[in-house]
Amino acid sequence: MNSLGYILPGNRSLRHAEHDPSRSTQAPSLASRLSSSGRHAISFLVPEAAISVEAIEKFFPPARSGWRALLQPFEKPSVVALAGISFEVRPGEALALLGANGAGKSTLLRILATLLLPTGGRAQIAGHDAVRDSRAVRRQLGYHAGSDLGFYARLTGRENLRFFGRLNQLSAGAVARRITLLAEQFHLEEALDRQVRTLSSGTVQRLSLARALIHQPRVLLLDEPTRSLDAIAAAEFRRFLKSEILRGGETTLLFASHALSEIELLADRIAVIDAGRLLACDSLGGLKQRTGATSLEDAFLCLTGRAPYFAGEGAAE
Amino acid sequence: MTSTFRELWLFFRRDLSIARTYRTAFLFEAIEALFGVAMFFYVARFVDSPQLQHELPQGGSYFAFSLIGFVFLDYLNAAMDTFDRSLEEARDSGTLEHLLVTQTSLPVILAGSAIYPFAATTLRIAVYIAWGAVLFGFPLRDANWLAVAAVLLATLLAFSGLGILSASYLLLFKRGNPAKWFLLGVSSVAGGMLFPVSVLPDWLQLVARLNPVTYALDAMRAALLGGAHLHAVLRPLLVLLFFSAVLLPLSMAVFAWALRRTKTTGTLMHR
Repeated sequence: MNSLGYILPGNRSLRHAEHDPSRSTQAPSLASRLSSSGRHAISFLVPEAAISVEAIEKFFPPARSGWRALLQPFEKPSVVALAGISFEVRPGEALALLGANGAGKSTLLRILATLLLPTGGRAQIAGHDAVRDSRAVRRQLGYHAGSDLGFYARLTGRENLRFFGRLNQLSAGAVARRITLLAEQFHLEEALDRQVRTLSSGTVQRLSLARALIHQPRVLLLDEPTRSLDAIAAAEFRRFLKSEILRGGETTLLFASHALSEIELLADRIAVIDAGRLLACDSLGGLKQRTGATSLEDAFLCLTGRAPYFAGEGAAE
Repeated sequence: MTSTFRELWLFFRRDLSIARTYRTAFLFEAIEALFGVAMFFYVARFVDSPQLQHELPQGGSYFAFSLIGFVFLDYLNAAMDTFDRSLEEARDSGTLEHLLVTQTSLPVILAGSAIYPFAATTLRIAVYIAWGAVLFGFPLRDANWLAVAAVLLATLLAFSGLGILSASYLLLFKRGNPAKWFLLGVSSVAGGMLFPVSVLPDWLQLVARLNPVTYALDAMRAALLGGAHLHAVLRPLLVLLFFSAVLLPLSMAVFAWALRRTKTTGTLMHR
């Protein structure tokens, strides 16, 4: 067995990329190819990215109204949403996407979640192409869109989690065990046997995160996870994410947010996006150093020349 | 295959659990069915005559003829409506995205979402027929249930293709169900639902002969009222299976294309 490890940004954890056949469906690394060719196993660093985005472009067709809207599905995409973005997220790392509204954060997350097709470039999760191998990609990821929609309102929390867990190929027993575990972690015990329509927004958000994690994905994609939460629920959610999800270093996190305090608390690195372009991708310290700013807000202003949508929130919290 | 059946069962159980939360709905539907059957019974009593009975294919009462036409229309409606209604509900409730990021394939999601509505419609039809048999003398003595089941299944498959085409239209254009309007519109006149196609002018009879609904209804009446065996309804069954063999793969391909198109244009969740 190879002992392949490297230190993550922020020294959060030391990850051993040992081959685990029960979870790994990664593309064969150089090490495994050498092993299979009859050589002895070689111990060296294989920093295969958990998420790899190479020159991703996304154009949308222009919005139309009236009878022209009928032609929209067939119009040539010409409105730029992403203009050739590239970055990598290492296993166990937490990377934040920071940008103004319309910068392209959600578009990028939706491409990675296989809900959108890129116009150009390549996106991979755990070595699987998001376009050509979308089913294998979905096996690796959990997706949480940050809204309290997306559940069957008249089913209980448990019924919803069980349904989505089983659709992710978990056995009945495994789903039941995961639900018990996640309910304990997310303080959802009471919500499990109540209809979702009777739950508060904060509880539904936690339920949504539990759903994203039910099949133990390697990669977690969160699109503005605290968007519909009040300040207290948002703070609790972040604490939970930090202590329960990121602490173990098992899960790679890519999240989009406007909340600067959220990004500072959770992210190892921050990708600053503006008008579909990646302006910088660095740690908080790196961004401050590069811009000479003393805060993330100032660094963002310096890089983009504009205030983030939630400019005050980071300071307020 | 086992995994696919398991997934289909999950969708059925989901919809059954949701339906169980609307506890009084079934009761009111059963009462509504009673009034519907009574209406057909009294209309039939008003118009029935020996000459009319002679004109009917199985020679029975107009009540039996028209009730089968009516409940069959319900079935056709369900086949045409189920896919786009499931899709619309999933889109509006936000569950569509979450279904699409699971490891379950699109055909299974589509088929799974249709099982409960079809089962519920079959149950509703059974309630109509039961009211008719218990209270109004609908003749069930001669029915060949095996042939009835075969005709229902073949009809379901044939019209599901059209239903999936409608769902593709909904994905792309967000509203409307042109296949349903067209087929139900044509079938209400040239399908033999409430009157035999023999009363139509020649050119409309030709339209009726091109309409799969005509074959399905002929076979259903023959099996339910005339006690026809499977071999006796083989021709309409083969016509329906031909429609299924053409429409189902075509509709799945069109739906996959429409989904890909909405993923390209970013309009998957647009209303």
